[in-house]
Amino acid sequence: MSDNMVKIIIDDVEYEVPAGMNVVDAAKWHASNDIPVFCYHPKMEPVGMCRMCLVEMGTLQRNPETGAVMTDEDGNPLVRWFPKLQTACTQVATDGMVFRTNTQAVVDARENVLEFLLTSHPLDCPICDKGGECPLQNLTMAHGPGESRMNFSDKMKLDKHVPLGDLIFLDEERCIQCGRCVRFQDELVGDDVLAFHERGRTLQIITNSDPGFDTYFSGNTTDICPVGALTTADFRFGARPWELTEVPSIDPHDAAGSNISLSVRLDRDFGGRAMIKRVMPRQNEYVNELWISDKARFGHHFTRSEDRLQKPVVDGKDSDWATAISTIAGLLEGADGDIAAIAGSGMSNEDLFALRSLVTANGGKRLGAWPTTHTGADLVAAVGVGVGTNLSDLGAGDAVLIVASDLEEEVPIWRLRLKGAHDRGAYVVVANARKTRMDDFASATPRYQAGKAAHWLDGIDKADPEVAKALKAAQNLVIVAGAEGLTLDGSRALMQSAANFLIDSGHYGKANNGLMSPLPGPNGMGLHYVGFTPEVTADIAQNPPKVLIVAQAEILSDDPYARAWLDKVETIISLNLFPDAVADMAAIALPIQSFAERDGTFTNGERRVQRFYTAQGPMGDALPAWQALSRISEHMGQGKAKASAAAVMVMMSNELPAFEGMRYRELSRTERQFPDISGDDMYYGGTAYQNKGGLGKVIPTTAEQGETPARADVSLPPVLEVGKGQFVVLPATRLYNLESTFRPSTLVHPRIMSPFVEVNAADAARLDINNGDVVEVKLPDVSVRVRASVNGGAPEGALVLPRHLTDDPTPMTVAVGEIAKV
Amino acid sequence: MANPLADKYADRIQKHMSKYPDKRSAVMPLLYIAQEEYGWLSPDAIVQVAEICEMDPTQVKSIAGFYTMYRESPKGKYWLQVCTDLPCALKGADQFHHDLLAHLGIEEGGTTDDGMFTVEHVMCLAACDRAPMLQCNFGYVENLDMDKMKELLDKWRKEAEAYANAD
Ligand code: SF4
Ligand code: FES
Ligand code: FES
Repeated sequence: MSDNMVKIIIDDVEYEVPAGMNVVDAAKWHASNDIPVFCYHPKMEPVGMCRMCLVEMGTLQRNPETGAVMTDEDGNPLVRWFPKLQTACTQVATDGMVFRTNTQAVVDARENVLEFLLTSHPLDCPICDKGGECPLQNLTMAHGPGESRMNFSDKMKLDKHVPLGDLIFLDEERCIQCGRCVRFQDELVGDDVLAFHERGRTLQIITNSDPGFDTYFSGNTTDICPVGALTTADFRFGARPWELTEVPSIDPHDAAGSNISLSVRLDRDFGGRAMIKRVMPRQNEYVNELWISDKARFGHHFTRSEDRLQKPVVDGKDSDWATAISTIAGLLEGADGDIAAIAGSGMSNEDLFALRSLVTANGGKRLGAWPTTHTGADLVAAVGVGVGTNLSDLGAGDAVLIVASDLEEEVPIWRLRLKGAHDRGAYVVVANARKTRMDDFASATPRYQAGKAAHWLDGIDKADPEVAKALKAAQNLVIVAGAEGLTLDGSRALMQSAANFLIDSGHYGKANNGLMSPLPGPNGMGLHYVGFTPEVTADIAQNPPKVLIVAQAEILSDDPYARAWLDKVETIISLNLFPDAVADMAAIALPIQSFAERDGTFTNGERRVQRFYTAQGPMGDALPAWQALSRISEHMGQGKAKASAAAVMVMMSNELPAFEGMRYRELSRTERQFPDISGDDMYYGGTAYQNKGGLGKVIPTTAEQGETPARADVSLPPVLEVGKGQFVVLPATRLYNLESTFRPSTLVHPRIMSPFVEVNAADAARLDINNGDVVEVKLPDVSVRVRASVNGGAPEGALVLPRHLTDDPTPMTVAVGEIAKV
Repeated sequence: MANPLADKYADRIQKHMSKYPDKRSAVMPLLYIAQEEYGWLSPDAIVQVAEICEMDPTQVKSIAGFYTMYRESPKGKYWLQVCTDLPCALKGADQFHHDLLAHLGIEEGGTTDDGMFTVEHVMCLAACDRAPMLQCNFGYVENLDMDKMKELLDKWRKEAEAYANAD
């Protein structure tokens, strides 16, 4: 809170509030007085459009000479009232302001505003998705007229199913023209694809863009819409809000670890079991505020996909757990300790710990992380952003460097929040080999040659002295270092350069300073803390073990070069949600549960350990991975199987220093957050937003624990040798892709790009390649046929080849290749 | 993408642009140019203007929708906006509006078959003292009655013909 407090009076009671605080917020936060609003939203600039928040307002009369507050005979302060009611949402607190929110004038104003809003509002609440959690319903109940004086024949008849894009529908009759959706897109997202059209009674929300309302954040508008005018294609007519149970969970798609709420009900369509009907954001101001990406919102269908593996498979045949477990036990015993594991980041911390325990108890040492694109999690653990970091605190005087990452595609919530930092005046540098969406919200956009991110950052003092100077001089500095266009060595070099930069300029070991990385998946940091590293995976590929356990790592779908070394492994044991190509090769494939079906924790990119809870009924015989693994351990006489994920956490907290003392109860602690949306709140609609599942806990960096961070020399990887007629091929991430955890969300399919390679215009002209031509990209041992896109997205001499847009894996890391028209 | 407006009106566009610090500020005069060229703001015209002003087409459409002098649907060559607000109504504007429609054989908001006239009723145009009145494209015609109106209609028809023949 600001130290500059002022005194304001609300309904005859004096409150101390921070100077400049919005009066609606101040009344709610400090006086528990819910001034009703429609257009105001604490995350956006006030516009004073709906007039719902009218209050009486005045200022204390002061003696012009002494400045003392003047009083009447009874000692009550004299107030100079404004002649008309004022909109509270457009006022900020200054000393001596006086408000009345309960007088007849205010009561009448509220009633009249509501009566006007309802003159043409349809009475279709019984079939409206918002019905039951609708701010308009709630405020009408609280402040509205009991009856309508409206002539029903004057009611406007408008279109009720206008698709604004593939995912969002508009009901024109229900819209009350508050403009929240328009402002969200414009102010917070920076994609002004929604607008008002016409005016007065005929005013409507439109999009006239091509494609229409197509951003990665579109679903949030349905949450903030105070009526049921905006609905998602996923949930509309899916369930009534009061049938839903809100289960706290974590977005399983990226490193942000967005807090979500899974709205479930027992559903006929799922055999009467609890089923996710929608995904809503859950407030965590440190992590995702009140927002989630559309991938988080619409990407839950994989949990119920019929393609899920539902039974243990032993030697190619459906089997049962007892057989599978005893077979595995036999295999592990016969391996003479030559056991290794590779885990993906969909595994929870508990899963990873159970896997680690099983491997080490049987003589194995090698724990590999998948994918092998990003490394340097150890440096995030050393000089990551400090405890208490909140990207919303970054603003004027602060700086952010995003390097080697297309943040919009990799971690959209970070991109949203860092755009906010830029808007608040932070110096945001986006350094990449190519243009990315984040460039639009950057103060500087240095470019380096494809594949040379580490070279650039290591030599930034020479390459971009101005940028370097500004970053060093910043009060707070956050570096987000990805791995686009890098090899694993390149990624290591970049992370080390980033760490060195932070150490040299002293921007580490405290809140709002340090290193972050868009590690793939929800638990990239968890992999590190439990001891799984990509370097070990590389070693496993070099020297394949006798028995390899592959857990939620779809190696063959990711990497075209993996089959060669996987073939050399004698026995593969697979744990996965889906029967992928690795499961096909495996002697035994175990079906495990998705995040939605069980309890667990993920550690996000800011090292926050967060809980997710059991929401959905299980698929077939699938078990949580930790349970399957600890039953194998038990079978082998290596300790009793744990009864719950919480119990695994206790074990883990005893063995792994990072988790020392951590308990589920602690992780589920919450606190009052600003903006306050809890309680019988009137303006947010529904209870999904409320955080009842916990804010999680951040593992402190080793720097904060008193260790001097290791500044190490950067060993720059050799520069790629690009021959004549050759190109640097940069693999890129697309948020919407065909990975197994997203593909079943068929409603997003129209938004998944068909496979393409981005070619620089000059190169394309030279090779006579036109936009849309089918081309062949040839890489060592791999070639892919895709369409060429010549849209200014590739630097000269480079090809940008997005991954996971086809079933054929394309290279994971930067390579050298050729291109030819077919 | 081809942008005929940008090519054909490069000079005029440049002149408007030079008045403002950024391109988007010139959107309104550019919309008039587009309207002049096509007779109305077709979806394609909106996209062209958006491209020139480096704006999202949604925002351009929004501006075109807010102001009543932009035509978002094809209209007649002469767009007659008859004021029927209270002071005008007191001087018989309602009847005048009604008679005009009957004379042209169209409904409110409709266009004559020859594409010459569109008639719409509108709110006060701030010429109450010279009621009944209407706005024809960008000009006011005041103190009207049907006789006067018929003369005007003939005159405009002739004008349009002469203009067409002149080409
Ligand atoms: S659609 Fe909803 S959020 Fe958008 S203006 Fe209408 S009522 Fe407001
Ligand atoms: S005018 Fe204040 S909330 Fe709309
Ligand atoms: S009422 Fe017709 S011009 Fe004013």
